[in-house]
Amino acid sequence: MARVAKKKKSTRLIALSASNKAYEFRKPLEKRVKYQGKTVDIKLREAPHGFTYIVWKNKKYMLDVIEKNQNRYTIMINGVWHSFTVETPISLKRRRFLEKQRETSSTVAVEAPMPGKIVEILVEEGSEVKEGEPIIILEAMKMQNEIASHASGVVKSIGVKQNDVVMKDDLLIEIQKG
Amino acid sequence: MKIKSILIANRGEIAIRIIRTAQKMGIRSYVIKTAKEPNAWYLDEADEVIDFTESIDSNIPEFLDIERIIDHAKKHKVDAIHPGYGFLAENPDFARRCEEEKIIFIGPSPDAIYRMGHKTIAKELARKHTVPLLGGSKGAVADAEEARTIASEIGYPVILKAAAGGGGRGMRIVGKEKDIERMFNLATKEAEKAFNNPDVFIEKYVREPRHIEFQILADKHGNLVHLGERECSVQRKHQKLLEESPSPALDEELRSRMGTAALKIARSVNYYSAGTVEFLMDEDNNFYFMEMNTRIQVEHPVTEMVTGIDLIEQMIRIAEGKTLPFTQDEIKLNGWAIEWRINAEDVQSGFSPSLGTIEKISWPENEHIRVDTGVRDGSVITPYYDSMIAKLIIHAEDREKALQQSTIAIRKFWIKGTKTTLAFCRAVLQNRNFRKGRFNTSFIGKELKIFYQHEADEEMLAAFFAAYDYAREIHEHEDKPLYTEKGKEIAPWVLNKRLR
Repeated sequence: MARVAKKKKSTRLIALSASNKAYEFRKPLEKRVKYQGKTVDIKLREAPHGFTYIVWKNKKYMLDVIEKNQNRYTIMINGVWHSFTVETPISLKRRRFLEKQRETSSTVAVEAPMPGKIVEILVEEGSEVKEGEPIIILEAMKMQNEIASHASGVVKSIGVKQNDVVMKDDLLIEIQKG
Repeated sequence: MKIKSILIANRGEIAIRIIRTAQKMGIRSYVIKTAKEPNAWYLDEADEVIDFTESIDSNIPEFLDIERIIDHAKKHKVDAIHPGYGFLAENPDFARRCEEEKIIFIGPSPDAIYRMGHKTIAKELARKHTVPLLGGSKGAVADAEEARTIASEIGYPVILKAAAGGGGRGMRIVGKEKDIERMFNLATKEAEKAFNNPDVFIEKYVREPRHIEFQILADKHGNLVHLGERECSVQRKHQKLLEESPSPALDEELRSRMGTAALKIARSVNYYSAGTVEFLMDEDNNFYFMEMNTRIQVEHPVTEMVTGIDLIEQMIRIAEGKTLPFTQDEIKLNGWAIEWRINAEDVQSGFSPSLGTIEKISWPENEHIRVDTGVRDGSVITPYYDSMIAKLIIHAEDREKALQQSTIAIRKFWIKGTKTTLAFCRAVLQNRNFRKGRFNTSFIGKELKIFYQHEADEEMLAAFFAAYDYAREIHEHEDKPLYTEKGKEIAPWVLNKRLR
C-alpha cells in the first residue's frame, strides 16, 4: 500500500458502489472521463452560494460529500445518496480477498439503523429468531420502531440493555446463523 | 380586546409563520429560547426573546412547561399566547391556565379542546349530531383480552389508537388475531410515553381510504365557515408527506355535504378559532368522522393559498372577539395548491431521521412558490424536535399546472448537509396514478415502487466525485501516512503483512 502511495503511484482509481459496480477513473482526475466507452467532459463547478454541482448533458446536478471515512464515501447527488469505496487497483485486490474470508463467517450483526433509545429487547441470548422477526424496539424521533433480525438463527449475544441510548450503527445483537 | 403582544409557545417554521402575521398586524412577538437550539432562526425574527436556556429543577421540556411559560408571559405582560401546533396546542389545561391568568389563548376554549381531544367523547358528540362514524370500542380498552374480544366482534383489520393521540402517533393496525396482544401492548406503551395517558381504543379499520380534512373557522359569536378540504392521503406510517387543496376526489356537492358535517362537529362544542375536522373516505365516497384537531395544522398553507385567507390572522382576530369578516358564500377556492414536506430523513433507509447541520439551503422564487421554513444556512436538525426542514407550497391555476411547477421547484430546491425527502417528492411526482389524482392512503405502501427517483447517470457522476475528492485528499497528504486506525497511524509493513 505504502508503495502504491509513495513510489509506484497508480494511475487509476476505482469507485466501487454498494452493489459492487466498479467505476474506473484515470488519474489525474480532470474534466475528461471515460464512460461507456466514450471520453466525455464532466464540468465540476463551485457555485458562489456554496454549492458544488456537475453540469452533465446540459443539466445541473447538486453534489455533496455527506460522509467520508478514509476511503469510504457517501455522495449525495440530486437528493439521492450513493455509497462507494475508492480503491486503487492493489487495495481492490486486498478488499476482494478479505471479502472472500468474511463470506465463510457465520455470525450476523444487527446494528442500530438510527440513533435512539432501546425501549424493549424482545429476545434473550439463546432465543431462536427468524429473519424479519422483530427483536428490539428502538425509540427514535418519538416513534417506536421495531428492529427486525436480518438472519434466521440463534441469538449469540446482546450488546445493549433496556433504556440504553445507542448511536447509528451500534451493535445491538449478534445472531448465529443456523 | 385588541391584542398588542403575543408570546409564541413554539419554535421553528410555525414560530416564524406566526411572527410574520404579527408583524403585519403591528403586534409585538415574543419567543422562547432553549438550550437545545440557541441559534435557531426564529429567535432572530421575533421582537423579544425569553431565555429558557438556564437549567431549572423541572425536567419538563421547555415548550411543555405550562407554569414556566405562564410565569414568563405574566412577567412580560403579554396579551396573548399562540401555541402553534404540537406541544401545548391541544392541551386543555394550558388553555385553562391562560384563561385563569387573564392571558388570551389564541385557540379554542379549554372545553372544546378537552372534548375534541378525548376521542370517545368526540365520537359520542358526532353520533349525537348524526355525523357518520366507524364501529369500535365505546371507550378505552382495559386490556389485551378485551381488545381481542372487541376486535373479533367488529372483525379484522382493526386499528388501535391512543385516546389522547394525534398526528399518527400511538396508532397500530392489526390484521390478524395472533398479533393483537403484542400490538395492544406496544400501542399502550407508546401512548403512555407520548401523551402520558395509556388509554387506547379500537376501531374498525377501513382499508385504503382517503384522508380528507376540512378547515373551519368560527368566531365567538356563533358564525362558522368551512374553507374547503385538504387532501392528505399521501402518508407513510400515518405521517403526512404532502397535502393538496382541493382534493381530486371531491366535487361541489360532496364538498358541501362534508363541509356541513364538519361544521356540525364544530358547533357541537361551540367551537371558535381555526380547527380541522378529519374524515376517512372509502372508494364509494362514504365518509366517516375521525377526529377534530383543535389547532392550526402544519398543512394550513394550502388552504391559505386557494382561499387567500391568512388563517393566523383570523385566529388572532377571533381571539380578540371580532366577528368573521366573510360568510360561507364569500369563500371561493381559487386554483390548486400542493404542499411538499421536505424533511431531514433518509428515504433510502426507511425514512430514518438524518440529523446534522444544514450547511446551505436555497430554492427558486416565483409567483407559484411559497416556502415556510425555520431553517437557514447553518441551522441544525436536532434529535429533540421533528425532522422538518421546509414546506414547499406550490399554487397554480389547476392541478396539472401545480404539478408542473412542483417538478421545476423541487429540481431547484438545493439542500446541502443532510439527507432529505426531496428525491421522494420527485418519485411521487413521476407516478402516473398520482398525476391522475387516483390514490389513497395505501399509495406509498402499494403503488409507489421506488421511494426515491434518480436518473441513469447519477451514480457514475457520484462515483466520479468520490474518486475526485479522494485523489485531491491524497494529493494534499502526499507525504503523510494515508492509513490510520482508531486515530493511530499504521506502519506500511503492518498493512503488507495483513494482506498476506
